[in-house]
Amino acid sequence: MASYSRRILPCFWKTTKLLTFEDSARRVPCRYHQELLPTRNYLLPETVEEHRKSELSKHPELPPSITSENVPADFRFVYPEFLPDPQYDRRDSIRERLEREDMYRRRAVIDIPEFYVGSIMAVTVSDQYSPNKENRFVGICIDRGGVGLRAFFILRNVVDGQGIEIMYEMYNPTLQSIQVLKLEKRVDDKLYYLRDAPQEYSTFPFDMDPIPVPKGSTVPVNKMKVQLNPRPWLERWERQDLQGVEDLKLEQRFYDKAAKVAKPWEKYDLMKWYRENTNEEERDSIMQEVHQRKRLTDIEKSKRKTKLAERKR
Amino acid sequence: MAAPRIGNVLCRISNCNFTSVLLEKINYSRSSTCLLQIRHRQAFPPAAWYVKRKTTDLDENLTKENEEFLDDVMKDVYRKRLDRVFSPLEDGPWKRNEYNRYTRRTGVLAIKIGVVPQWTKEGKRFTTTMLQIIDNHVIRYTPPEKFMKSAGWKPWWGNKYGVAVVGALSTNPRIYTKEYNNLFMESGVPPKKKLTRFLITENAAVQPGTPLNAMHYRVGDVVDCSAKTKDYGFQGVVKRWGMKGMPKSHGVTKTHRRMGTTAGGKFKGGIWKGKKMPGLMGNRWRTARGLKIWRVNTKYNVLYVTGQNVPGNTHGFVRVMDTKLPLRKPAPDNPPPMPTWYPEDATEPIEEEYFDKDLFQFTEESVKFAEGKK
Repeated sequence: MASYSRRILPCFWKTTKLLTFEDSARRVPCRYHQELLPTRNYLLPETVEEHRKSELSKHPELPPSITSENVPADFRFVYPEFLPDPQYDRRDSIRERLEREDMYRRRAVIDIPEFYVGSIMAVTVSDQYSPNKENRFVGICIDRGGVGLRAFFILRNVVDGQGIEIMYEMYNPTLQSIQVLKLEKRVDDKLYYLRDAPQEYSTFPFDMDPIPVPKGSTVPVNKMKVQLNPRPWLERWERQDLQGVEDLKLEQRFYDKAAKVAKPWEKYDLMKWYRENTNEEERDSIMQEVHQRKRLTDIEKSKRKTKLAERKR
Repeated sequence: MAAPRIGNVLCRISNCNFTSVLLEKINYSRSSTCLLQIRHRQAFPPAAWYVKRKTTDLDENLTKENEEFLDDVMKDVYRKRLDRVFSPLEDGPWKRNEYNRYTRRTGVLAIKIGVVPQWTKEGKRFTTTMLQIIDNHVIRYTPPEKFMKSAGWKPWWGNKYGVAVVGALSTNPRIYTKEYNNLFMESGVPPKKKLTRFLITENAAVQPGTPLNAMHYRVGDVVDCSAKTKDYGFQGVVKRWGMKGMPKSHGVTKTHRRMGTTAGGKFKGGIWKGKKMPGLMGNRWRTARGLKIWRVNTKYNVLYVTGQNVPGNTHGFVRVMDTKLPLRKPAPDNPPPMPTWYPEDATEPIEEEYFDKDLFQFTEESVKFAEGKK
């Protein structure tokens, strides 16, 4: 410690400022040392933003942020795909803006309703290989993900004793309609464990009637617990913190190994959380924009409907 | 560079005076692909035309007010020049030539901002890369005769090409050296963060100070994009060359991700040149050729280009040029804007977005297939 401080002190005395890494690099006597230092061959998003806003450039001004909208508190769970990418090195404000614009346009054409993992849905897509050029599938939503135009959801059902899962892209133009037959949530984020459960848990009739949710009520949470088949399984379910599953009835060694592999500290990892999420201000401004656009498109749609009704008369 | 070197060698061999060698008659051959791998970062002496960019210290003891005043002056000077109006005192706008099959236009220096999916009108999905063109200006044009005498010329380029230097991202001149700022005197634009040069033919010469934007390309054009690939640093053989490694268990010790044998015995005689080994991966110039432009946004100057394989990270600089592929480069009967697009060319008001005729627009109805069609 003493020798370390002795080495640093004269520098303080000479330069009267703390030596940064770059300063110390400059003092190395190698001729081309600067070029040997690791460099970045891309720009940071902050610098790109700076240049976009710079008065020296002729970049168009961004529209002012909307603040007057009264957005419901759980609005962002209804439209999760509008939020920025969880991978922070893929974010870009202009790309997200243009992508959102496309999404609004598509949402004005077809109705993409509110749904969650655990809801039972019916989807119609145009399919050139089916006899009437259309394909309708009913199933339970076991996963939902993706950001922007690549947002998707997965439906699962059992047809003729065979489990079938189909992944649909929400903004794919071949998608004709999405209907929510039963709106509800489950206790887990992903229901992939239905693959290892008895088939009656994921069997739904194709001629199922929609069950309406009374207006103004909150979305019901189905707290059903699934009894899984005995091992072997597709995944080690005991290692995942599943809430919607009955006791797995395994030997103690499985639970011991699961406890050994578990990472309980990850939920306290603030840096990880920070990297995967955006700050509240940005999130709220996006949600306000989505809310405003939704309000406007709803008005337009109702106008169109009244016009059609008048014509029919 | 190469010509004097070869000339000197010839002088030594033939024991004659250097000026007596007729340089024009020497046939230069371009060396074939280099098999040498780069294992460690190498530092070369800077090129002959290199000027130091950043000032060493910005320790001017300015007050905040003075700094703001300097910024205001700087903005005043450059804002006027950004809308370039040719005064009668200057030489007027240069003559615009016609496009022919030998023409090579300048490219633009774009920034890669992300990858998004798009769909065709038949409902087929494909991915596109978005490239944004921010603050692009032509900084300098050097005609072929002058360029041939400069240090940056390579003999296999011949006498066909001049050079256009293009810069992107305007910055504050205070952070740069005087020598670097002087490069921008001719064009009158603020100093740029990044410069590149494009080899262009003489009939595609562009006047310094001309802004370049997304309208330089049309929807349906095909481009080449070259950029530096992602820098992975020093990597092992499994990641760098996709070798298999060895098993994780079953008695394997200390060779799980190693390359195994390097050479065969007997007649093969030791390690061959170009053996795939660990070393620096990425951070090299690579070109993705033949990428079609599907969509152009003129408000934010964004090009949507086929594929997700444009090299480099997001927010990396990408050189976008007309393609070299002979069957897909712009044809003389459908010429692109020469030498670039000017606002006075527009016969109709410019739309915010242009789409390819095969691209699905999100305002359209959903894709439906007809009965008889398959």
